[in-house]
Amino acid sequence: MATTPLIQLLQGYLKVTADRQQTVASNIANVDTPGYHTKDINFQAAMQQVMNEGSQLRMEPVSMEVDGLPERPDGNNVNIDRESMMLAESQLQYQMGVQLIKAEFHRLLTAIKDGN
Amino acid sequence: MGLFDMLNVSASALSAERQRAEVTAANLANAETTHTDAGGPYVRKEVVFSATNSSPFQSVFHRLGNFGQAPGGAVQLTEVVDDKTPPVMRYEPGNPDADKDGYVAYPAINPVTEMVDLMGAVRAYQMNASAVTAAKQMIQQSIDILKSS
Repeated sequence: MATTPLIQLLQGYLKVTADRQQTVASNIANVDTPGYHTKDINFQAAMQQVMNEGSQLRMEPVSMEVDGLPERPDGNNVNIDRESMMLAESQLQYQMGVQLIKAEFHRLLTAIKDGN
Repeated sequence: MGLFDMLNVSASALSAERQRAEVTAANLANAETTHTDAGGPYVRKEVVFSATNSSPFQSVFHRLGNFGQAPGGAVQLTEVVDDKTPPVMRYEPGNPDADKDGYVAYPAINPVTEMVDLMGAVRAYQMNASAVTAAKQMIQQSIDILKSS
């Protein structure tokens, strides 16, 4: 249970972004593995899963294979340009989430200090 | 802990690519080796990479319990195999390793292939090193939440 609803939302956002970053790292790690297929996390579905805190059996975001990427002769379809872009993208998204959490805590502090 | 798992995934790739570079360097170094302990010329080595996905049981276990996501697919060097290409025979009657017809068996190693492979390993290593840097920055940013604003 988070302090405010916004912090709870941002907590889920950071979790999904970190999971996505891990998927990207895994794709980059397997750039030379024959037969490996690029994986990604469906952001919307993952957000819904993470935010659904009601049930005890909380499902974690599951990665799935990305369609439409050209396959190399060895059966690997990791596109290093796509992955480096995704790496930068999810890193910035994570940074944004962290900044928003910091801002929310700052607002809380302002409220505690009665505006001073 | 997603961020630390990410470091492990990238570390596995760094290790695998470094071993690939080592094997390639050994191939380049032994491109002219005609004499080995096993007898015959040096045999070119190749690495086999495979994605290590956690077992189906483990991933379901991770998903159903609140243990976080099972660590994503790392990479590992499963084996180093011998290249089956027959050795190149060169006519050098004066060489102590020459057979009765005067031919010496040299390893079938093309320096250009090895150099390209080495460059591929180095670039992949760099890419994974940037992924490690990204993970480190993300962890650092999370720590910064604790800093008094």
